[in-house]
Amino acid sequence: MSNSQTMGVATKRAYVVAIAFILFFWQVAAWFLPDFLMPDVHTAILRLWEELNSAEFYEGLGNSMTRLGAGYGAALFFGILLGLVGGTINAVRSPLKAAIIILQSIPSIAWVPLFLILMGFGNLPIIVVVAIGAFFPTALSVMNATESVEKVHISAARVMGASKAQMLKRVYFPAVTPELITGAQLAFGNAWRALISAEMIVGFSAGLGKSLAYSGEIADMTGVMTNILVIAILAAVIDQVILERIKHRLLRYQYL
Amino acid sequence: MELTFSEVAKSFGDLNVIDHFNTTIRTGEIVALLGPSGCGKSTLLHMLAGLQTPSTGTLTAGGKRIEKPSPRRTLVFQEHALYPWLTLAGNVALALEFQNTPKQTAFAEAQKWLAKVELSGFEHYYPHQVSGGMRQRCALARAFIARPEVLLLDEPFGALDALTRMTLQSVLKDLIEEERPTVVLVTHDVDEALYLADRVLVFSNRPATVLREIELGHIPKTHDLSAFADIRRDVLNKLGIDTDTASAHAEETGETV
Repeated sequence: MSNSQTMGVATKRAYVVAIAFILFFWQVAAWFLPDFLMPDVHTAILRLWEELNSAEFYEGLGNSMTRLGAGYGAALFFGILLGLVGGTINAVRSPLKAAIIILQSIPSIAWVPLFLILMGFGNLPIIVVVAIGAFFPTALSVMNATESVEKVHISAARVMGASKAQMLKRVYFPAVTPELITGAQLAFGNAWRALISAEMIVGFSAGLGKSLAYSGEIADMTGVMTNILVIAILAAVIDQVILERIKHRLLRYQYL
Repeated sequence: MELTFSEVAKSFGDLNVIDHFNTTIRTGEIVALLGPSGCGKSTLLHMLAGLQTPSTGTLTAGGKRIEKPSPRRTLVFQEHALYPWLTLAGNVALALEFQNTPKQTAFAEAQKWLAKVELSGFEHYYPHQVSGGMRQRCALARAFIARPEVLLLDEPFGALDALTRMTLQSVLKDLIEEERPTVVLVTHDVDEALYLADRVLVFSNRPATVLREIELGHIPKTHDLSAFADIRRDVLNKLGIDTDTASAHAEETGETV
């Protein structure tokens, strides 16, 4: 599937305009401020090019992506599982939903001090914080969607003799997929923010957040802006290209 | 498969929907439950399917008490019962896949049944891409593919326009004649009941009680129901619909008869 199919021309144009707008404001700020406070756009892009040719950059990128993958993956798995269970079992639903609403109001980064002491200095606390950020929107969207699966779709499967497992796999799962994907995109935003901030605070081994925090500490503003650029580009690519593509693949029937 | 209702009653809270209902439906018989909307006839059908349980009394199928749904007693819903994420072939094949038939066999069989309801060439379309009539054809194929002994129809053509409805009634009649399941049809369409059924039970409003039982027997019928004009008039009267031309004329002119 080519990108032109997943993203309309109008949307693409909107993105180009938005990016030009953002870079323009950055450059205007750079003209008015001294270089050591705000680097020019092209200085940051040149630095980015240098970074792309250094092994260090890839080490940090690899670490961050591993943490994101582990945390986000675990959140999706448990979120879908708990969402389906909560949505189908009436006794569990209301308390579970209330618990999620209370817990999701806590910024996931607030858990860092606790997990650092509980799990020690390492990858695990960062992964868990990422997972917490992504878990709630996933579980909530799946639970709400499961609750509103059309009764006739369930009855039809029952009269066709579907087993519990078949019902879950062939009826509930595809029925909740549209909402699940919306929830998963929301969850990705949370996971990404949690990842960068946790890495900035924890500062364990190389990573995008740590690299950004370190640039700040040595007052290397070109480094700061370069890192922000990387963080923004990666998030856009993952959300708009990878997740959108998966969405179009899974919901193919809606786009015909 | 013989179906029996004995002393079946159903209430939702204080609302008495069915009160001490008794009847036996013989194997291979085609029975229509005819009545106004919301009179409880759909509840009777859903109890036969095993989707609802009676408050008191028992229902049996083939001598065994009905406790839960079974693919041997399948139900065709009014509409929206096809899965939007599956193609027409996928929807029909699913009925076999739920019986653990391998996917390939199920799809080959689905193709055959779609051909029987004249949907060849539409196998790969999704339900939202075809008309309401085609969706119900597909729903019929999905019901028949599992070779049910009992076919339960819940106002299957209620949402269709008059012409499409008559075409689909003929399709259904042919399929029933070929497969010979025991059929229970819930409808509020008098002509549909007379055209399809061997026996018609006319229901009153809540709680549903049988106002009239009409034995038509298994006779060849066409959509020209003029031979049943008397029965039709009587049924409509029982349902509280005016069929007296003299009194209609009288109302128009203000005379009293």
